[in-house]
Amino acid sequence: MSDAAAPDPFGTGLPLDTQVSRPRPGTVLLAVDGEIDTLTAARLQAGLDEAVDASQADGSGVVVDLSGVTFLASSGLAVLIGGARRLADLGSRLRLVAASRAVTRPLQVTGADALFDIHDDVASAVAEATGAGASAGDKQAAPGSRPSHTAAMPPGVAPPPGEVGR
Amino acid sequence: MTRADPEYGHLIPLLEEYAATDAGDPRRDTLRSELVTGFLPVAQHIARRFSNRGEPLDDLVQVATVGLINAVDRFSPERGSDFFSFAVPTISGEVRRHFRDLGWSMRVPRRLKDLHVSINGVVSELSQSLGRAPKPTEIAERLGLPVSEVLEGLEASEAYRSSSLDEMLSSEQGSATVGELVGEADAELNRVDFRQALRPVLAELAPRERTILLLRFFGNMTQTQIAQEVGISQMHVSRLLTQTLDRLRNRLDPETRVS
Amino acid sequence: MSDAETLDGMSTVEVRTSATAALIPTIRAVASDLAARADFDLDAISDLRMAVDEACATLVDAADPTSVLQCRFLVRPERIRVHAEVEAAKADTVLSTDTFGWRVLQTLADDVEVLHDAGGEGRRATVGIRLDKSAGDVPR
Repeated sequence: MSDAAAPDPFGTGLPLDTQVSRPRPGTVLLAVDGEIDTLTAARLQAGLDEAVDASQADGSGVVVDLSGVTFLASSGLAVLIGGARRLADLGSRLRLVAASRAVTRPLQVTGADALFDIHDDVASAVAEATGAGASAGDKQAAPGSRPSHTAAMPPGVAPPPGEVGR
Repeated sequence: MTRADPEYGHLIPLLEEYAATDAGDPRRDTLRSELVTGFLPVAQHIARRFSNRGEPLDDLVQVATVGLINAVDRFSPERGSDFFSFAVPTISGEVRRHFRDLGWSMRVPRRLKDLHVSINGVVSELSQSLGRAPKPTEIAERLGLPVSEVLEGLEASEAYRSSSLDEMLSSEQGSATVGELVGEADAELNRVDFRQALRPVLAELAPRERTILLLRFFGNMTQTQIAQEVGISQMHVSRLLTQTLDRLRNRLDPETRVS
Repeated sequence: MSDAETLDGMSTVEVRTSATAALIPTIRAVASDLAARADFDLDAISDLRMAVDEACATLVDAADPTSVLQCRFLVRPERIRVHAEVEAAKADTVLSTDTFGWRVLQTLADDVEVLHDAGGEGRRATVGIRLDKSAGDVPR
């Protein structure tokens, strides 16, 4: 194992990793790993902005997978709440995947959990976000219900859903 | 809805068949192999996305394949979602967990990871019966373990220890430290600004130091990889990086001191 | 269960670090550790950890860059008091209690207070936060 891999396994220089992807047409997934605090909240914001921007191209649902998050500070909560508001203005709800107390407790004790649809596993969140994304399509001029058009990969090309951005 | 992708279409009926077979069925292993082999390019594609972080691609493909096996085993066709929407997050989740574990594995022994699993196992049951979150002593009693062990297990789950204190404080921290110099909180943006600010300064460096700096921050190579590339020891690379970054800090803004 | 395994009496732990966000994770870890040893329930431990993080982040933001962040934990049975303090960037630095973060802090802790000391002859101006958190099964 490489020597510097342990100090910076995310390759970001920060104890936070964010990855935006399309696990399937109709859903944008922001996967987050590490600690969300004052040092890393801006990175979370950047990732969430990218995910929401991407979702607007085709009315996709947005899922934020926080199952790899070991700490969530108020600055991180503020980012998530801002994301929920932005999506609410656009007619949909932000879905979170939250499995550990470090994430569920702050959401619950502040009452912020009412602002999101919270799942305890990513597969169910993705499956439901796609449905929501497609049905939210009628609130805006959305091509969300045309899967063949929104596929992130051209049909017939080997691996499935590609990434958004990085 | 299942997308009839010509590349993988032939595997869909196999998924359904696999989900329907019982544990003892001899056909099960064959089906599983066929499915994993058939969907392997998906795992490889996902592994490749993480290949720029200093981990060997082979290791990542192995981890991704474990994720694929889990996805094949756990997928249930009647849930209505197509296999990819289940498998892709499952596989990438496995690879991400690998990177999280890298931050821990130097300091968190297997014993503690197992302990963490045991603790999780009893916590929700205890929460139900107590009507509130359990205390460490209650968890210890339930598991039949000394409280000190439970305390260790709880601690292990809390901190993402990607950096030792030395690494956090040293100048050779990478983008975050440099980020403080250019005044941005976001690491990605830091890298961009860093390049602009760095150009005139890079010109002042000796060729070897310049190469090492470029390899570390733009090539995203580890110290060992750089050492191999440049032909010196990893310790020497570490020392040169520290010295060079110190000089850069002073050069970029003499008023700024990173604490 | 012996004294060696949990804190039954009163203990004081003090941590001093440079006033930088990079070191707050260490202070969080101390907070969690103390609350766990004092047998706080898991939610109370999580709340204290988050409250200490919030207090420290707020103070680091208002601190003179060369300042030390000082964090003192008073561990009593059933309750932990935390007193965090930095040297202020300016003599008239005032912590805003009108922020989202402060409201979260008030939710997490049983009691929170801002402490300003304008300093004087030979004494730097300081700003601090004192918070209390109880073990968890005390009715609020």
